[in-house]
Amino acid sequence: MTPNETRGNLARTLLLFGRLALAAIFLFAAYAKLKPQAATGWSGSSIKTSLSLFAMQVDSYQLLPPQLVSPAAHFLPPFELFLGLWLLSGVLLRYASLITTLLLGAFFAVMVRTYMAGLEINCGCFGPGERLGPLTLLRDGSLLALALAVAIAAFMQGRKSRTEPAPVAHVSAPQRAD
Amino acid sequence: MISRINQGFSPRVASRAPWAAVILTALVVLAPAITAQTATPASAKTATPAHKHAAADTAAPGAPVKTIGNRNAPITMEVFSDYQCPSCGSFFENTLRAMIQDYVAQGKVYLVHHDFPLQMHTYSGQAARWANAAAMIGQFQDVDAALFDNQAKWPVDGDIEKYVSAAMSPANFKRVQGILKGCTAAPPTSKADRTAPQPDPGCPVDPYIVQDIVLGYQVPVQATPTFIIHYKGQSYPASSGIITWPILKQFFDTLLSQ
Repeated sequence: MTPNETRGNLARTLLLFGRLALAAIFLFAAYAKLKPQAATGWSGSSIKTSLSLFAMQVDSYQLLPPQLVSPAAHFLPPFELFLGLWLLSGVLLRYASLITTLLLGAFFAVMVRTYMAGLEINCGCFGPGERLGPLTLLRDGSLLALALAVAIAAFMQGRKSRTEPAPVAHVSAPQRAD
Repeated sequence: MISRINQGFSPRVASRAPWAAVILTALVVLAPAITAQTATPASAKTATPAHKHAAADTAAPGAPVKTIGNRNAPITMEVFSDYQCPSCGSFFENTLRAMIQDYVAQGKVYLVHHDFPLQMHTYSGQAARWANAAAMIGQFQDVDAALFDNQAKWPVDGDIEKYVSAAMSPANFKRVQGILKGCTAAPPTSKADRTAPQPDPGCPVDPYIVQDIVLGYQVPVQATPTFIIHYKGQSYPASSGIITWPILKQFFDTLLSQ
């Protein structure tokens, strides 16, 4: 196996496992925000309560005016669910990974700003009960790096597949020459 | 898509290194969040509001009553607060004051105050003593508001007395002063190592402050203000920081509409 092939395989491995890891993380994040926060079963009412509780966490960042807090809190968890499923499917991976990177970049920027401002609040990243601190920043920074790596690999993969002929063409070309 | 990508794997590349890296990354990244999700805080384990566990103590004659509103209100909100913490002051002025005037007055919410004076604040323990002494004679609400209203003033020189005296009649102020007469040692404050502070044996309010601090450790209170909401026997996870009244009200309305 040539070094180029090895690099290509490593990139494909990163792409596969990176996107699966990101998909799992986003699905878990959505689940943690939507699940019943008290000892009750899943229902429309429990999801509504969980989203209202999440709105309080969004509000504690003191970033959005009250009229925008609730729409943001009701949009984010379903969007994370959608993004997790999109990443899992692998369809249009370049766009999925780009949106994931932008979203994680925005989360990370808000968290850094909040931490630097000295606000002692819950992170709200994976539901309630987790304080925003150096460890959560490290975790979200790592996720951002992973998303960026997946996005770069996805774009490189896409460019390569557009510029290089498919492996089948390499095999069939000499046959046609004969 | 997965099968298409898998076609490019050679056994060597699909060997352990990338797998191990991905699994390790996932573990490092997700472990704290999963722990936070699966570990139930002490406050959420019980359907009984934390303040009711101390019922035996607070029922004693002269025990401070640091609550506002109707005990039978459908929602109970417990707030762990420090009188010298700026976020607590802002939370009181912008959220709790509106809540007291609106949902507490309407009998929808029962507000329970817990003292969680932080060690880093020079006068918060002493302020908690004044609030508890006032609570012993039924003057908690006025003194609580006076301490937060003047939060920028009394920490300058520690003259808390001036603002407490302005919040009640001279006769009541004398009673409060009498309660605090034996308080000579430093007031109890929460500690970074989460050990229970020692109450001043001569100070009748200190055991109640210590009781609140220990309760706060159990929640666990990691920052002030921290609050827990109880509704229909269910406890919701503790939240920290400043939440605006419209958003808190929206959460209450969601609960009440269930």
